Amino acid sequence: MTNLQTRYLAEFEMPRVVPLGPNLYAAAFFLMKLLPARYILERALERGDICEGTHICETSSGTFALALAMITARMENRLTIVSDWALEPTLKRRLVELGAEVEIVTQAHPHGGLQKARLDRLNEILAQSPSHFWPRQYDNPDNPRAYGSVAAKLVDRIGQIDCLVGTVGSGGSLCGTASYLRLLFPDMVVIGVDTINSVLFGQPDAPRLVRGLGGSVIPSNVDHTLIDEVHWLSAAEIFQATRQLHSQTGLFMGPTSAAAHKVASWWAAHNDDKTVVILMPDEGHRYADSAYDDDWLNSKVPRWRSVCSDRPVTITNPHADLAQWTRLEWGRRPRSDVIAQSL
Amino acid sequence: MQGVFDDACFQRYRGLVTFPCRHLQTHAIFVPNSSHAVTISPGTKEKARRAAALTLRQISRQDQGGNVEISSTIPIGRGMGSSTADVLATIQAILDRFDVAWSMEEIMHVAVEAETACDSTLFSQVAVLFAQRGGIVLEAFDRALPKIDIISVDCEPSATVSTLDFEPALYNEFEVEAFKPLRSLLRRAVRQGDAGLVGKVATASARINQRFLAKPRLDELEKIAAASGAIGLQVAHSGTLVGMMFDHLSPNRDVSIERAAAALEQAKFSFTTFAA
Ligand SMILES: Cc1ncc(COP(=O)(O)O)c(C=O)c1O
Repeated sequence: MTNLQTRYLAEFEMPRVVPLGPNLYAAAFFLMKLLPARYILERALERGDICEGTHICETSSGTFALALAMITARMENRLTIVSDWALEPTLKRRLVELGAEVEIVTQAHPHGGLQKARLDRLNEILAQSPSHFWPRQYDNPDNPRAYGSVAAKLVDRIGQIDCLVGTVGSGGSLCGTASYLRLLFPDMVVIGVDTINSVLFGQPDAPRLVRGLGGSVIPSNVDHTLIDEVHWLSAAEIFQATRQLHSQTGLFMGPTSAAAHKVASWWAAHNDDKTVVILMPDEGHRYADSAYDDDWLNSKVPRWRSVCSDRPVTITNPHADLAQWTRLEWGRRPRSDVIAQSL
Repeated sequence: MQGVFDDACFQRYRGLVTFPCRHLQTHAIFVPNSSHAVTISPGTKEKARRAAALTLRQISRQDQGGNVEISSTIPIGRGMGSSTADVLATIQAILDRFDVAWSMEEIMHVAVEAETACDSTLFSQVAVLFAQRGGIVLEAFDRALPKIDIISVDCEPSATVSTLDFEPALYNEFEVEAFKPLRSLLRRAVRQGDAGLVGKVATASARINQRFLAKPRLDELEKIAAASGAIGLQVAHSGTLVGMMFDHLSPNRDVSIERAAAALEQAKFSFTTFAA
């Protein structure tokens, strides 16, 4: 396996740098996960964790699965993706066409929900494959490590960066990019954007509609001590922001991009001497039948058009019951400290 | 800045960007004689002797004897590139004596062979990212580095370091990736003549290097730098020196340098100031 075989999509890995205002830039990715997927596979090949015949298995219902399938399309290795009902039919068809085997888990685990049920199924598959590789985007340190080249492109195009804003799922993109940029700009403010009912920054676990950010378990790739400020947004606010980002800037991006944009625009307006960069993880095509479809939105989030939120409420206890845009000054503390200090 | 960097074909090299200091100089004169051996005075400069022999062989005068007289103002074993300067001056002295012109690449080739690892001292017109053990230019930047004044602090006045005496740094995977944004920001800084950004790159490289050849009291120097308005710290990655950097074009430069000098004095550091 040569670099050429894993890197041929390299031109798709890097974000486009879009100046949105005098002190506001977007790093707009085609499909951000192509970068960590390629980096993780390359390191695994280098270390001999993937060889001929190694079965690659991952649990994902989104962009990481697609990225893995795109990169392994030219490899001989088997790829299995374990997912659940949330996998859209279009995405499932693409994965299958790319040669991936897709397993859908239908029965939730009595305690750990679908996430646990998917992990259990993945472990069964791994046990059956003598030579397997599990990329583990949530706790593989190669995920955040992949973002050095993104930091490089940002400083080449923008120079000094004072604030980085991004949504947090595995934590790889925001924490990875921030750790590289902080070597050069130790005072850079890092703002993590999450969704209400996600445990990542201390919200109580409950169902969430927006995918890609937040979660019910805490990935080890979230380095809480890098984060200065956390913002939570409701589904209605995120979907409204998605449509506004499109209609007002022409950027056709996924909901997590818009969530980060909403928070970043507010921060940039209040800090007009600081240069702000927004990570925008994917384009809008995948959401044509959801976030970009009025009927879907009206049925799922009837308030999406009417929510009115132009500034966050500030709280100190992350466990609070939230209904709208809220912010907390995290102050680079470990998660356990924030929880303990708010009791 | 010093680390590992890819060339255009993703080939990885150890590389560095050297900070030029026009105040420190080395002169060499080659005086041929009827012997068949080359000597150097002072006689301890073995790398320069090797460079002289290699140069003479390269120009097909391997039987020519002579003496190379070197005089230098560059401190030895502090990481200021004194031996690279000896080697380059020696090569040039021999070429001058026989009226031979070499390209920079030819000179660097012999220099690396004589010295194993050498600085990019020869490249003064534009800043270059130089593979010190391969002797090749990985990237030539658009211009020279912006003008920067330096207060040179010796962290361990009693120690000397030979570049070849310690193992080359074994960077971890995070550090390998981290050199990408450092290199990019330096490229931008040179392109825009932004001394402040050069300071940030140098400081980041200095911090990474702490894991390999730690400068004692670097934290203290960082505090003094920040308090006095310096733009950053650069270190001799294989030496004992730390340079506090000041933007030569800043209107506050004199005040900043005075403030830093006073603080260094008070903290009992030994230092020398070099204007850009
Ligand atoms: C669309 C989208 N946005 C944001 C994220 C969060 O990125 P990260 O996992 O790097 O935290 C993901 C992660 O899967 C995603 O798919």
